[in-house]
Amino acid sequence: MRKTYLGILTLILSFAPLAFGQTKSVAAPDAAVDWKALDHKWLDSEKTGDLDYLEKFFADSYVLVLADGKTYTKKEWLGILRGADRPTLLTLDPENIQVHVFGNVAILTDHTTIKGHDSKGNSMDGEFNVFRVVTKQNGKWLATGVVMNADLAKK
Amino acid sequence: MKRAYGLCVTILLIVASAAVALGQAPGKASDENVAGTVSILDHVWLDAAHNHDGETAAWLFAENFVEIHPGGILVTKQQQVDMIKNVKLGDLAIQSSDIQVRYASPDVAVLTDTTTIRGTQGETNYSGQYRVMRVFVKQHGRWRAAGAGIARLAAQ
Repeated sequence: MRKTYLGILTLILSFAPLAFGQTKSVAAPDAAVDWKALDHKWLDSEKTGDLDYLEKFFADSYVLVLADGKTYTKKEWLGILRGADRPTLLTLDPENIQVHVFGNVAILTDHTTIKGHDSKGNSMDGEFNVFRVVTKQNGKWLATGVVMNADLAKK
Repeated sequence: MKRAYGLCVTILLIVASAAVALGQAPGKASDENVAGTVSILDHVWLDAAHNHDGETAAWLFAENFVEIHPGGILVTKQQQVDMIKNVKLGDLAIQSSDIQVRYASPDVAVLTDTTTIRGTQGETNYSGQYRVMRVFVKQHGRWRAAGAGIARLAAQ
């Protein structure tokens, strides 16, 4: 009787390596992440100037590409948001957020409406389709890249 | 009887340790040159687009691939592959330069490049320079393109 039990147990455990090998090769989807809340929190923080949050949320390698192709690193972009010439953002509203998760990286696309002006009063109003990259680093999801595109269909 | 029992326990221990070893192996940092690999794939991607090579594009793009074109148009893998292999759309000369790998881990890489395009497809003139962000992900041991965001550089 004991032999039978041991035989069954050995058989079950012999499949364990296969199971481990399969599950580790592709990171499991992060079902617990509320991606829409993450996107809203990100833009709300830029609008209200919550730089403490952004400092932690932006990966060191963060890169922002504006709709005209101008590129900013984390240090450069946070420097602008901290500086006297920071833009005034009245509306920064992401809609139609779509999420593509690939293990330790997620690509969020959204339609963002911006209303505001720069420090000289020039309008920054516009509608954009935005490509956002978030990567999981040391267990935390961090903003890693953004590319903005003017939504020409809305012009 | 005791010997048979001991033998079974030994087998169990061997099998269990194999499970642990296999479970850890994929998580270990790799010596792979991620930056070099994805830089090459950047060129493979653009060559496929230039040559209307839908087969290579389909091989390269992950299933959930997404790209935002200049003008804010969002396309899926199938839509992008269909565009690439459509010879009626006309030829584009495409070249990338200034490839900068911004983030690299054993299974994710994010790079930016400057892509120069010359030509017209349909009624759209794509000629110009673009800042492109490309995302790569390692799936089942192979690097694939997960997506791209493209912004046209303002004329200097």
